[in-house]
Amino acid sequence: MELKTLIGRAKRGLREELRLYLVAITSLSVAFLCVAGALLALTNLSALAERWGQSARMTVYLRDGAQAADVAQLRVVLESLPEVREVEELSSEDARALFLQHAEVSADLAALPPEVFPPSLELSLASGIAPARADAMAARVAQLRAVEDVETYRGWFDRLESLLSAGRGLAGVLALLVGLCVLAVIGNTIRLAVARRRDEIEVLKLCGATDAFVRGPFVVEGTFQGFAAAVLAVLVLLVGFLTLRSELDASLAALTGIRAAFLQPWMLVALVVGGALIGAAGSALSLRRYLTV
Amino acid sequence: MARDGKVVRPFAFFRAGAQSDSRANRPILAFEDVYKYFRKDQPTLRGVNLVIERGEFCFVTGPSGAGKSTLLQLVYRKHTVDAGRILFAGRDVARLTSGSIPFLRRNLGIVFQDFKVVKHWTVFENVAVALEILDMPPRLVRARVAEALERVGLAGRGDDRTESLSGGEQQRVAIARAIVTEPALILADEPTGNLDPHLAIDILTLFEEIHATGTTVLFATHDHSLIGQRDHRIIALDDGRVLEARTGLRSWPGASDTRPADVRPGVADARPHEGSGLRVVAGSGSSRTGSSRTG
Repeated sequence: MELKTLIGRAKRGLREELRLYLVAITSLSVAFLCVAGALLALTNLSALAERWGQSARMTVYLRDGAQAADVAQLRVVLESLPEVREVEELSSEDARALFLQHAEVSADLAALPPEVFPPSLELSLASGIAPARADAMAARVAQLRAVEDVETYRGWFDRLESLLSAGRGLAGVLALLVGLCVLAVIGNTIRLAVARRRDEIEVLKLCGATDAFVRGPFVVEGTFQGFAAAVLAVLVLLVGFLTLRSELDASLAALTGIRAAFLQPWMLVALVVGGALIGAAGSALSLRRYLTV
Repeated sequence: MARDGKVVRPFAFFRAGAQSDSRANRPILAFEDVYKYFRKDQPTLRGVNLVIERGEFCFVTGPSGAGKSTLLQLVYRKHTVDAGRILFAGRDVARLTSGSIPFLRRNLGIVFQDFKVVKHWTVFENVAVALEILDMPPRLVRARVAEALERVGLAGRGDDRTESLSGGEQQRVAIARAIVTEPALILADEPTGNLDPHLAIDILTLFEEIHATGTTVLFATHDHSLIGQRDHRIIALDDGRVLEARTGLRSWPGASDTRPADVRPGVADARPHEGSGLRVVAGSGSSRTGSSRTG
C-alpha cells in the first residue's frame, strides 16, 4: 500500500472517530504524566546524589585533651594528602555555635555545654575521589594518635543511593504498568473503532484487501494516539514545572544546593517514541481477531 | 505494484480472454463433488457438481436454505469445502493459503443483498476502494471509477454520500465496485432481494449488460418471477443438491413441477444446451468421487 493512501485512510479514520480518540488521548496522557513525573523526580534526585557524591566531606574528631602540637602536626599531615583539598579546624565552641545556628533548636538544647561537641578537623576532599579511596584514607587517618573517630558521611550517601535505587525501581514498575495500561486503552479504543467500522473492514476484505492493508490505518491511528498522549503529558509537565520552578528553586537550592532541572532530551524522545510504539503495538494486537472475513 | 501507470496483478490470468494458452479453454468455475457441513448430521451442500463456462450468465435458484449463498461463499472462500474441489480458472480455491485469498477475491466481483457499501463514504470512495487495494495510481482510479459509475447509471454522482442514495442506487454503487476491477467472475448473492420488482428488473438488466461485455455472472436469487423473464441457464438447488440445470424458465415443465420425471437429485452437467434446454446426467448424489459427471 502506498504511504499516501495509508496516511489518507488513517486521517479519514481519525476524522471519523475524533471524539473517541480525544477521550483516549486524554486518558493516556494522564498515564504518561505519571511516568514523566516519576522520571522528573528521579532526574532531580540523581542530580542531588551526584552533587553530594562530588562534594565529598570528611570530619576527623579529635581526642579529648589532644595537645595543640599534635593537632597542628595532624593538620599538616592531612593537608599534605593528595585527596584533601582543604582543612578547617573546628573547636568545641565553634561546633556548638554552628549546631545551634543551623539546627534551630529550642533553648533546652542551647543549654548544652561545649564539651558535648568534640573538636574536629573538617576536610574537604578533592573532586573525583572515589568512595573506596576516601574510605581507605579515613582508615589510615583514624589510626593517628590525636584522632578519636573519622566520619565519612558514607552512610548518608548510601541511604540516598538506596533511595534512588528504590525510586528507579518504582519508576520502572510504574513505566511497565503505564505501558500495559496504554496497551489496554489503545487496544480497547481501536477495538471500539473497529466495531464501528466493521462494515468498512468487511468491504475491504471482500474486495481483496490483505490483512496488512486493513491493519495499516488502524496501526497509524494507534501510533498517533500514543504519540499525541505522550506529547500532551510532556507539555502538561513542562507547564507545571515552569510554573513551580521559582518556588522549587528557592526551597531546593537552599536545602540541597542544586537547582530543579527538567527531563533530559533523551528522556523526552524516549517517552514520545515509546508512546508511539506502544500505541502501534496496542492497535496491531487488538485487530487480529477482526480480520477473519 | 503500479509501475508506469500499469497495474500488475497476481492471478491476472483469471481475466477472461487475457491468455491464449490452454487455461483459456478451461471452465472458469467447476464444482467437483462439493460437500459443506455446518452441522455434522446435515450437509448444506451434498455432492454438488457444476461447470460454469467463461462468459456464461447463470441463475442459481432454490428455496431459502437450499445452499445458494453457501455455494457462492465457498467460491470467494468465506468458507472452505469439507469435501470435493472448487476450481476457479483451474485452481483449487480450497487449497489457497489464507495469504492468497485476497488475490483470489481481487479477481471476483461480489454483490450482496444488503449492498455492503460503507454508508458514510461517498459514492466515489466506495467504488475506488477496490482499486486502491490494487495500488492503482490515483489518476487511473479516478478514470476507472468514473467509467464504472457511468456504466451503472450513476455518472456524476461520485461526490454524493452513499447514505443519501436510494436502495436501488446503493446496489448500483455495489455493482460499480464489483465491476471496476474488471473481474473474471461476478458473484451476485440475492442482489435484488431488498429491491422492489421494478428496480429488481433494472438491476438484472444491468448485470446482463455487464455480462454482454464478456464477464461471467453467477446470479443467486429465489425470485422466480425474475428468472422467468430471462432466458439464462438455471442452476436449481434444493436441500444442498443440484436438482436441475436448464436453460430458460419458460421451457420449465410447470411452475409447481420443479422436479421433472427424468430429473433426480444428483449430478448434473449444468452447461447450456440447445433445444430443450435441459440436460441432466445420471449420477449419484451421495457419490463423493465426482467421477460420474459426464459431458
